[in-house]
Order: sequence, then C-alpha cells, then structure tokens
Amino acid sequence: MNETQFALRVRQLLDQGARVDARVAAQLRAARERALARHSPLPMAGLALAHEAMGRVGGVRSLAFRVLAPVAILGTALAATYAWQQQQRAAEVEELDAQLLSSDLPIDAYLDQGFAAWLKRRASQ
Amino acid sequence: MAQAARVAIAIAAALLLAAPAAAAPEKDRRWAQLSGEQQKILAPLSAEWDRLEPEQRRKWIGVAKRYPKMTPIGQKRVQTRMQKWVKLTPEQRKQARENYRRISKVPPDKRGDLQRQWDEYQSLPPRGKPAPAK
Repeated sequence: MNETQFALRVRQLLDQGARVDARVAAQLRAARERALARHSPLPMAGLALAHEAMGRVGGVRSLAFRVLAPVAILGTALAATYAWQQQQRAAEVEELDAQLLSSDLPIDAYLDQGFAAWLKRRASQ
Repeated sequence: MAQAARVAIAIAAALLLAAPAAAAPEKDRRWAQLSGEQQKILAPLSAEWDRLEPEQRRKWIGVAKRYPKMTPIGQKRVQTRMQKWVKLTPEQRKQARENYRRISKVPPDKRGDLQRQWDEYQSLPPRGKPAPAK
C-alpha cells in the first residue's frame, strides 16, 4: 500500500465514521457551535479596533506636540516679550516724569521749542 | 521630541514668570481705591483722576511711589506741576520728555544754573531766540 492508497483508505474510513445518526450529529453541531461561540473572534476584533483608535489618538497627540505646541509656545513667548517691553516703556516714562516734574526747570522750559538747543549751544561755547 | 517640548514649555513658563518680575506694573485704581498716602500725594489730580486714561493713572501711581524719595523741594514742585502736566496733550508731554533728555545730557558744569539760564533765555528778544529745533 503506497501513500496515496493509504490516504484514500483513511478518507473512506473517515467518511464512513462521519455517518452518525441525527441525534449524535445534532449534539456534535451544538458542541461545535458552543466551542466556536466561546472562541469568538469578537474580542479580537475589539482589541484591533481599540488599537487602531489608540493609534489615531497617538497620531493626534504627536501632531499636537510637533506643530501646535511649538506654535503655542512661540506665541506665548512673543506675547510675553511684548508685554515686558510695554512694561519697560511704562516704567521708563514713570521715572522720566518723576524726574522732569521735580526738576529745577518749570514745565514751560521743556515745552519751549528752542530752549534745549539754545542751552546746548551755549554750553558748547 | 517630548523632551524638546518639555524644555520649550519650561522656557515659556520662565519667560512668563520673569516678565512681571522684571518691571511690575502698577495696578490701575479709581480715586476711591487709592490709599490715603497716595491720595495725599496725588491730591492735585483728585478732580480729574477718574477721567484719566488707565495708563496715565498707573503712571501717576508709579510717580507717587517715587515721591517719598524726592527732596522736599522736589516734592513741592511735583505737587504744583501735576495739574498742568495732565492738561498737556500726549504730543506735548512727549516733546517735553524729549527736551528733558536733551537738557539732562548737557554736562552740569557747562549748563550752569538751569533756572538762571531759563530766565535769561526768556528775556531774550524774540529775534534772539533760535529757530525751533527740528
């Protein structure tokens, strides 16, 4: 008996063995269905779905870190610099006004269009 | 990547925290919200205080903060000049500050007694005065 003949014989025997009565067949079908139900591919599908979703969220997060965060940080830094400059300017004006108002000369002397130039010229003579 | 982002966030946070510390701006306050001390110093402005620009009010609160460090004569000058100063236009104030800077740059030993110089300048005939500086 060569290999092919052996295989045919096994198939024949299996075919014969599979001829079971209806009751046994029903029991077998029920058992198979139970087993299949227990081994449901649904949890696997759920996992795959969850994984995909995580991947998408991760994608958004990495996009946020790569693009949005630097833009937001740059914007914040620019706003902070601007605010700081404004404050510096305000502090400067504050100091200047305090000095000017308490100085030897009346306000009119500083409002005069020619006095500062006249004084400068005089001092250089 | 995450580390770079963290570093950038740290820098931004440091900037934000450092900015107010560098020059803490005065808070804008209505007349009624000023302290008794501030009201006393800024009394010449009491009538128009609430009509001033917030920026101006903050400036005056800053001037009031410097007031105790001024000489008594300096304090008196500030008190008498305040009203006139707030009635100037922003352009006039800008011009006056500019002239103050220019005059301050003239070495004290060369400019002499400023008040006397001003008196002398005022006594000049109109033609003796130089053309307005551009």
